[in-house]
Amino acid sequence: MFHRSSTKAAVAASIGATMLVSGCGAGSRSADQTAPEVACDFEAPSSPTTVNVLAYNSSAIDPFTNALVANCSKDDVSVVHEPVDFAGQVQRTTTTLAGSSGTYDIIETYGMIIPENAETERLIPLDDLVEQHSAQYGLDELNPQMIEAMSYEGSLYALPMQAQVFVMAYRTDIFDDLGLEPPTTFDELGDVAQEIQDQGEMSYPLALPLHTSSDLLTAYDSALGSLGVDLVDHEAQTPNFDQPEAIQAFEALLELRPFLDPQVTTFDQPAVQQQMYNGSAAISIMFSGRMNDLVQEGNSQYFDDIGFAAPPVVGDGEYQYSALSVDGWSIPANTDVDDELLFHMIASSVGEDSSEAAIPDAYPAREGIVTEENSPYADAANDAIGSAPPVEPHPYIPRVGNAILPIIAQVFNGDLTPEDGAERMQDDAQDVLDAE
Amino acid sequence: MSRREYWILILPSLLVMFGLLLVPMYRTVEWSLKDVNYGEPGTFVGLDNYMLALTDPRFAASVVFTVGLTLIVMLVVIVLGYILAVLVNNLGRMRPLVLGILLISYVIPNVVGATMFSWLFDTNFGGVANLILGWFGQDDLLWFTDRWPNRIMIALNVIWAMLPFSMLILLAGLQGVPQEIIEAAKIDGAGTLGKHFHVILPSIRGMVGFVAIISIMDVLRVFDNLIPLAPNAILNGNESIALYTYNMAFQDGGQQLGLGSVINVLTIVIMLIMLIPFLRNTIKEARSL
Repeated sequence: MFHRSSTKAAVAASIGATMLVSGCGAGSRSADQTAPEVACDFEAPSSPTTVNVLAYNSSAIDPFTNALVANCSKDDVSVVHEPVDFAGQVQRTTTTLAGSSGTYDIIETYGMIIPENAETERLIPLDDLVEQHSAQYGLDELNPQMIEAMSYEGSLYALPMQAQVFVMAYRTDIFDDLGLEPPTTFDELGDVAQEIQDQGEMSYPLALPLHTSSDLLTAYDSALGSLGVDLVDHEAQTPNFDQPEAIQAFEALLELRPFLDPQVTTFDQPAVQQQMYNGSAAISIMFSGRMNDLVQEGNSQYFDDIGFAAPPVVGDGEYQYSALSVDGWSIPANTDVDDELLFHMIASSVGEDSSEAAIPDAYPAREGIVTEENSPYADAANDAIGSAPPVEPHPYIPRVGNAILPIIAQVFNGDLTPEDGAERMQDDAQDVLDAE
Repeated sequence: MSRREYWILILPSLLVMFGLLLVPMYRTVEWSLKDVNYGEPGTFVGLDNYMLALTDPRFAASVVFTVGLTLIVMLVVIVLGYILAVLVNNLGRMRPLVLGILLISYVIPNVVGATMFSWLFDTNFGGVANLILGWFGQDDLLWFTDRWPNRIMIALNVIWAMLPFSMLILLAGLQGVPQEIIEAAKIDGAGTLGKHFHVILPSIRGMVGFVAIISIMDVLRVFDNLIPLAPNAILNGNESIALYTYNMAFQDGGQQLGLGSVINVLTIVIMLIMLIPFLRNTIKEARSL
């Protein structure tokens, strides 16, 4: 058997390491310390009430969550938010909305999942509550495009808090040295990347989030959208991968391959940020919520050399290579907490004060409050938000996306030709639509 | 002990086993025969989900990958665990310190340890392993996208995480071997290798079997290590059975709970098949006592 001293040392080391690791990995549960002070007025419930909030942690979402937790926890009401990443949020949203009673009372939702959950009546329509309290919270100042993204068949299912849209970040020092201008088309993007690569300083000057879990689908959808084509012809209920643009979108992305890290299909947005931080890339295109991190002195020695521009267009497309993703607060139909109480909370979280406090980390849903004075990427984001391809608010789109993602990855990886990939995507997506 | 006392004492365990083992097992088998989504009763589809799984090349690839990984990791952790245990057993005053340090990788949560481990191979986050390989002229290994480099990295991580457990169990076994037997072997002229192969290892055969059983059960369920280490698992065939289940039943709001349940049932079958030799030995030893 072990000697007593050995056992003690081993146990002590184990406990110490466990505490160290759990402490590092637990995330903050008191993220409300930097939250703005805003009014969160509601009629106090008759009994102590706990409101559980499901929202993933990111620099763009945290300001709104923090405002909710910090200001609405009062009068026997406790607002609880546990840290969770985006993947965890996706799973928990599915499971908590599935049954007759759920774990969460307020859920952070986004445009892609609104239609399905609205159609199955898992989310409460907010129209009446908005009408009743619009003046109190200035809800008529919310961006109509974002309101539309949170609606399904004419009803509103989430109060929009902030939007994410693709923005291009580039190294101004390198562009100035080489006399380059920010590219406005994919052809120009290729030329600029080639020029930087030719200088020999960077092997892979372009950084795009193309992780096979979902980033690659967003990238393909953005390229196709830039060419003016949706994933699905919603009237005919047929996929659009038999259109020439389906192959053109693949070719546009594949032409950038030489300028991207060979392992780019493993790079999500944090990895792309890291490439910009450590100077291994000179140009990146990702969601706007990631942009403010690039100009923080504590993150990178290049913080002062970052410029922003709207993303380029593919071909001579009408729209930019972009995706508009709107986040908002929804109330699940299976919550036991009073809807009125919950609405006051989410409305206060998207109020003017909260929204202003969220800048520049987020691009809040209120019109005209993001300006060059308060956000370093305001011009780029304001340009991009008006030129993003329209969203496709249909319940079957996530399932079509899940079906075609592995095929997109195979094409991008060189295992399938764009033609073969498009053909398979057409068949698999049609199967999904037929099953509707 | 009276029969009544016996049942009072054993009832809580039976209730826990019923609630945490038999009910989930029943639901898994039930769902495997249904087309079912979260929160819905589902529709009976017979063996359709089994046919779907057994004809999916991705599932076949995940079985091959997982079983291969399990066998390699099991062999390596037993061999290296034994060597480490012998070395630690021969230490003097430094033993507690060394033992404590060796245990760290075992107590770190898999996903955290695997993330840190991945940075060793990721140039974007330092890439110490790449730096060292670069000194030897090998600087173009794509650890995360190429199949075999990725498999090597995954195996190294699983071994790193499981080695302390193996070492700990085998160390306990070594400390239980009577010194007299070892001394007698020495007097009979046994060399170092002979002493280990003919005296010590046969004495701790039960412990070695235990390490093998636990390793098989643990590695067959390998999942969270692969999130940071195998982001391209579907493309390069390095998807474990558990990751395949997750991708089908959970990822991006996936709802194929029936298919996920089938994979769980089949995983239990695979696990039982792999455990048969070790379970037979354990039963034999128990009978001989």
